[in-house]
Amino acid sequence: MAALSEHAIEEIRALPPRFPHIRSAVLPALDVAQDELGYLTREAMTEVAELLDLDPGYVEGVATFYTLLHLEPIGKHHFYVCTNLSCDLRGAYEICDHIKRRIGVEGFDEVSADGLFSLEEVECLGACEFAPMMRYQRRYHYDLTPEKLDALIDAARQNGGERAADPPRDAAASQKPRGRRASSRGPTKEDSAELNA
Amino acid sequence: MPDNVRPQSGDSRRDLRGSSGPARHHLLTSLFGIEGLHTLSVYREHGGYGSLRKAMFEMAPEDIMAEVKTSGLRGRGGAGFPTGTKWGFIPKGVPGPKYVVVNGDEAEPGTTKDRYIMENSPHMLLEGVLIACYAIGAHQAWIYLRGEYDGPYEMLMAAIAELRAEGILGDRPLERDYPLDIQIYRGHGAYICGEETALLESLEGKRAQPRARPPFPAVKGAWGRPTLINNVETLSNVPWIVAHGGAEYAKFGLGTAKGTRLLSVSGNVQNPGVFEIELGTSFREVIMEMAGGPPPGRRMKAFWPGGCSAPVLPEWGLDVSTDLDEVARAGSMAGSGGVIVMDDSHCMVRAARRLLQFYAHESCGKCTPCRVGGNWALRTYDRVLEGEGSDVDLGIFDAIQESLQNGRCLCALGDSAGFVIASTMKHFRSEYEEHCLEHRCSVEEQVVAASA
Repeated sequence: MAALSEHAIEEIRALPPRFPHIRSAVLPALDVAQDELGYLTREAMTEVAELLDLDPGYVEGVATFYTLLHLEPIGKHHFYVCTNLSCDLRGAYEICDHIKRRIGVEGFDEVSADGLFSLEEVECLGACEFAPMMRYQRRYHYDLTPEKLDALIDAARQNGGERAADPPRDAAASQKPRGRRASSRGPTKEDSAELNA
Repeated sequence: MPDNVRPQSGDSRRDLRGSSGPARHHLLTSLFGIEGLHTLSVYREHGGYGSLRKAMFEMAPEDIMAEVKTSGLRGRGGAGFPTGTKWGFIPKGVPGPKYVVVNGDEAEPGTTKDRYIMENSPHMLLEGVLIACYAIGAHQAWIYLRGEYDGPYEMLMAAIAELRAEGILGDRPLERDYPLDIQIYRGHGAYICGEETALLESLEGKRAQPRARPPFPAVKGAWGRPTLINNVETLSNVPWIVAHGGAEYAKFGLGTAKGTRLLSVSGNVQNPGVFEIELGTSFREVIMEMAGGPPPGRRMKAFWPGGCSAPVLPEWGLDVSTDLDEVARAGSMAGSGGVIVMDDSHCMVRAARRLLQFYAHESCGKCTPCRVGGNWALRTYDRVLEGEGSDVDLGIFDAIQESLQNGRCLCALGDSAGFVIASTMKHFRSEYEEHCLEHRCSVEEQVVAASA
């Protein structure tokens, strides 16, 4: 144990009451773990499983399904560049080639030698009117050009590779949802049995 | 802050690309562009939450449902199912919780309209959500928001916090004894979560694989409870319908496609953006006028009218109207309103390959035709584009597209992958033949010749 800090464990323990069923807390809990460690180690997934009373294999199975959960280390500065059709038609792959050259990697999902950078090819991010575009440091960056990328990469190198502070994860977490309170009954044992089926 | 970064709050006008301001057909976007519209105070200054008040004090739930039915509003997520009918499926008088789940997992390539709504007017969506809760007898709403949407997330979180502070969310919203709450659940990167039953699986903390139906979500949805699932844009129409009446809404549009909708136009156009149009407007007007048409010296070759899952249409498709039924008659579908335009400097086989990469990656793996077919097609495209194709590959493409379609999978993802292959082959067969039989690409040759 102890892949996760006390703080993260506390945060994960606070998640289940937000949902009608404890299992819904698994993805938010994996977020907490990933935010702390940068990616999901097997130990972290096992710890999440124990905290939520789930099977470790189940948690890993969920984690492998979703692309925003990383099972391998990524750079401190990770570029999610959309290459789907709308961005592709406006030069997304040229942008990717430029990033690869500037950060010194051969391909997607490879971390630069200094551990600072990595580049991921992602599907449509829903901002096609600003193509080519990417997600970086929890912000969308629009109308990408080699010059814009150079500025971002240079800035990242200059500040020693420190990541910008993450915005607060969830300001509503303190508020319990209304499902159970407002109704005559919460999920019954039968509901739970079905959900566990 | 560098100017290429979208401000997460504050002046939404800074990079608003699309419809804003008053116009006869701007039902959703007439207030877009107003300084501070994302805040509760400004939204209220412009009449915001008046519809919720009207719904909760002057209307019975069944009156609201009747107005939505009268409006003729059809779901804006892709399937175009009549919204009022969907609301009517929610059983009445069952004990225990019911839920409204908002599908904000916008991920259909080319589609950006929900982001446009949430970033510009988060309260318009929230007001629609609360009215829907009241109409179907739910007290709790969940917004399933795709994980990559950091901007909309922060906008919605701030808006929900304002509603809590003002008592519009809580035990006695607007002093009425009808508790209401909205929670946000962030996705984790999976296109399939836009499919409503996969979305529910994800909300329940599982791998997002679509469920077999029946039971339908209206009867047995989130956590086994009756659940209404509507798209962001669909629910954002509700405040207007409640304020003005369903009959007024139905005066817009034509045939069975009523009202207005947002089309996000992207790709090879000079003025990409999200445009609110009255249903029935022609694609020529949308692509050539609103979006400025292809770049100078280029000709439009083809467009996907409703996200990349809608079969591609060649140039003649410009004269098709945006009416849902007419798009269907033209052999495609209005889908999610994501219009992707491609000009004559791009190869259709290469474009189809990129789309198959998407479907192969996003297949959830549950149904065999989709799990196997997508990857098989992708490998075939790779072989053909590397100059190793033959007439056998034309037959393989045909066999794969056929086995992906026709209801062989639980959801539409497999069909959509089949549509891409079938429609690009139907309209651009000569390019497939060039690649497979002659191992050349005339489009590329022309581009190279022009730049020499």
